[in-house]
Amino acid sequence: MTVADTVTIDQLVDWLGRFRSLVVDNQRYLTELDSAIGDADHGSNMARGMNAVAEKLETPETVDALFKTVGMTLVSSVGGASGPLYGTFFLRIGTTAGPVTVLDGSALSAALRAGLAGVVARGKAEPGDKTMLDAMLPALDAFDASLASGADLADASAAAFTAAQAGRDDTEDLVARKGRASYLGERSAGHLDPGATSTVYLFQALAGALGGLPE
Amino acid sequence: MVVSHSPALAEAAVALALEMVGSTPPTIVIAAGVADGATLATGTDAVRVAAAIDEAASPDGVLVFMDLGSAALSASMALEFRESDCEVRLSAAAFVEGLVAGVVLAAAGAALDEADREAAGAMLAKAAQLGTGGAGGDATSARSASEAYDAVAEATVVNEIGVHARPAALIVARMADFDASVTIADADDPTRSSPAGSLLVLMGLGLAKGTRLRFTATGPDAAAAVEALRAMTADGYGEAP
Repeated sequence: MTVADTVTIDQLVDWLGRFRSLVVDNQRYLTELDSAIGDADHGSNMARGMNAVAEKLETPETVDALFKTVGMTLVSSVGGASGPLYGTFFLRIGTTAGPVTVLDGSALSAALRAGLAGVVARGKAEPGDKTMLDAMLPALDAFDASLASGADLADASAAAFTAAQAGRDDTEDLVARKGRASYLGERSAGHLDPGATSTVYLFQALAGALGGLPE
Repeated sequence: MVVSHSPALAEAAVALALEMVGSTPPTIVIAAGVADGATLATGTDAVRVAAAIDEAASPDGVLVFMDLGSAALSASMALEFRESDCEVRLSAAAFVEGLVAGVVLAAAGAALDEADREAAGAMLAKAAQLGTGGAGGDATSARSASEAYDAVAEATVVNEIGVHARPAALIVARMADFDASVTIADADDPTRSSPAGSLLVLMGLGLAKGTRLRFTATGPDAAAAVEALRAMTADGYGEAP
């Protein structure tokens, strides 16, 4: 294994910093999406949450400590459903990664998968329910398929970002079956899901941190 | 234990529920809103919910009422964070109806199981009153007046607005004192009946002024229980008739 095929804590912190920037820069857009089918707070909630994370992020010693801080901070600062959902995602990543300082591709994949499983267990959503899962699941599938075909982490993270975008785009035609958008029934179709959209930023940030985006 | 997006909503709902109980309200702790700098924004916070569960914790258990959306997610997550080890139930009940039922039942000394069950059935009373199905009376109508009982008494409702929420709560609380299984029915239409300990079914019957009530009971305290009901009813449940 080469050095390029591992992820350091600094890169993970960079991932979170990039995610924060994307969420803060696009908070108006996220809230606009949410105002169409939800309660118009996804952008401001996520921005508040990630800003709180940024304040708490010193230089953690281990990966599990890093993500425990991130998860708990999101849980107690976001306010909406994305707090427990993203919070669970990061907490599970941390417990699965454990007290290490570097992750290789398969360890990162396992951690992300555990995060996904946490989101599923928490939100009880299924693919096609018009939720963040509809971006996250294809992203992780693409990430794993890319690694399995011998690609490095940069290319795998780029593939995950691309798949997340396609998944988000597909939420436009879906009828929401979870969360407040589900009250709208058929009227929820024709709008992108805000949670799937912020999940795209999550994978855009990961690709940025792992060198999968053109600079 | 009350989880809401809005502190104002939670406080108002709790105040409404407390109007139903007298001087011995159950322990109620609110976790509402999410910290946004020095103020509270609309939302829920699983860490605050966990702290509130710990504050409310007792050997009797904790029943958690949630408004909508992330309240349920935060509450389920709080179960992983809490430090107390008593039994905690997340109520599936509608927020206001369930909270009122839960508070009344808890004040009357009901166990966690019963409070949870009654709260979950809280919408039945409203549905029955509006005639939109799910009538609470159906479940109990099988208990006909011909059923064997140890004691019976009758009284006529004198209250202007009938056996509404507050009288029903008083009945439920009073019945907790007796070791008896007590049924309240419309004497002229015995299919309209309710266990005397079931707040929501009782309210759902919509027993109006002038209704002749028949109280039947089985068990060691049957006679005392029906006499208590007769006296309470004749007295207008402590309200000016």
